[in-house]
Amino acid sequence: MYKTLRSVHLLLASACLPFLVLYGLSAVQMAHGSWFTMKPSVRDSALSLPPGLTDARVVAAEVTRRAPAARGELTGIKAGADDLTLRLVLPGTVHEVRYQRTSGETRLKTSVGGTMAMLNRLHHAAGLWHEPLALRLWGWVVGVVSAALMVTGATGIWMWFARRSERRLGAVLLLLNLVVAIGLLVMMRLEGP
Amino acid sequence: MRLRALVLKVHIYAGLLTFTQVMIYGVAGLVATLQPGLERPKVARAVRYMPFTVALSASDKEVAAAVYARLAPPLARPVPDWFLRRTADNDLLLDFYNVNGIWRVVVLESSHQLRIEEIRNRLGYFLSDIHAATPNDAGAPRLVRLWGLYNEAAMWCLLGFCASGLYLWLSAAGRERWAWGCLASGSAVLAALWMAFR
Repeated sequence: MYKTLRSVHLLLASACLPFLVLYGLSAVQMAHGSWFTMKPSVRDSALSLPPGLTDARVVAAEVTRRAPAARGELTGIKAGADDLTLRLVLPGTVHEVRYQRTSGETRLKTSVGGTMAMLNRLHHAAGLWHEPLALRLWGWVVGVVSAALMVTGATGIWMWFARRSERRLGAVLLLLNLVVAIGLLVMMRLEGP
Repeated sequence: MRLRALVLKVHIYAGLLTFTQVMIYGVAGLVATLQPGLERPKVARAVRYMPFTVALSASDKEVAAAVYARLAPPLARPVPDWFLRRTADNDLLLDFYNVNGIWRVVVLESSHQLRIEEIRNRLGYFLSDIHAATPNDAGAPRLVRLWGLYNEAAMWCLLGFCASGLYLWLSAAGRERWAWGCLASGSAVLAALWMAFR
């Protein structure tokens, strides 16, 4: 049993290792923002689209057709009297589009974050509801890694318990964690609403 | 004591000391995976009214401060100026957020009342929010900062588990070859998705 659990622990942890490092590093970045430079590189360009478009999805599709690198999830749609603004977002990259309805002139502003910005965005990216396939795949990966992390933790507890020499001190540490952490969670949860 | 035995002890003890947090990280990831969209459901579980009279010539900011002082919502902060909004009936709308949800308050000036909706996050959303707490938010309530301190320790431990786990595997006598395949597969998936986003 111990050998099987150790194998499960090792195999899940090694498969998830790159993702756990990603989550750990990005958590450090979020907790200590001043340690890192997060300024993105910004590039402006102009496109010419057919005038008179009113549907943001059509505008987004036209932009991607003319500038294939400008792709991503369509968000932030705002329709003005004569213009339409939208954003195409992928983790680490934001394309801001401003389309002039009468002339079809379109400004495309692309902001690309560095490695830490990318880690940050990937940390926040999750869910199976996204339109771009890559984001949906990422959502599945997040689910699998999360489940694997929990199984890794549980197998770790089992393996610790199987080691008689560590049992007494380990039990004290585990009890301390459960009492303090769950105690704090319950105290916060009871505060309402 | 040999280095390997020492690293193994630290790996085990740190794991036991941060077990709850690691489980919460897993739950947070699963909750985010199963969330049906960007917006979370915001359903009021209770609505109540409270007498409240707006002071003469008070600005919205002053009214918001007076409501906050009157309600003193636990673990919540005052509504920032840029978040002051109005309902369709032009009543002042104040959302007081905390880790459990929202107290949504509508200031009904003409009837001298506050309408208070209690919107409570499900347990999964609560755990998802609390997994992101850090001690560096100086304005956060003490209880949340205390949790943030423990959470930050767990964050460093997570990185420590990665390093110590890698060392324990590589220094083991009978290394499992499957683990190389798993590490390579995980790295390949991450690299492929990273490139897809770039």
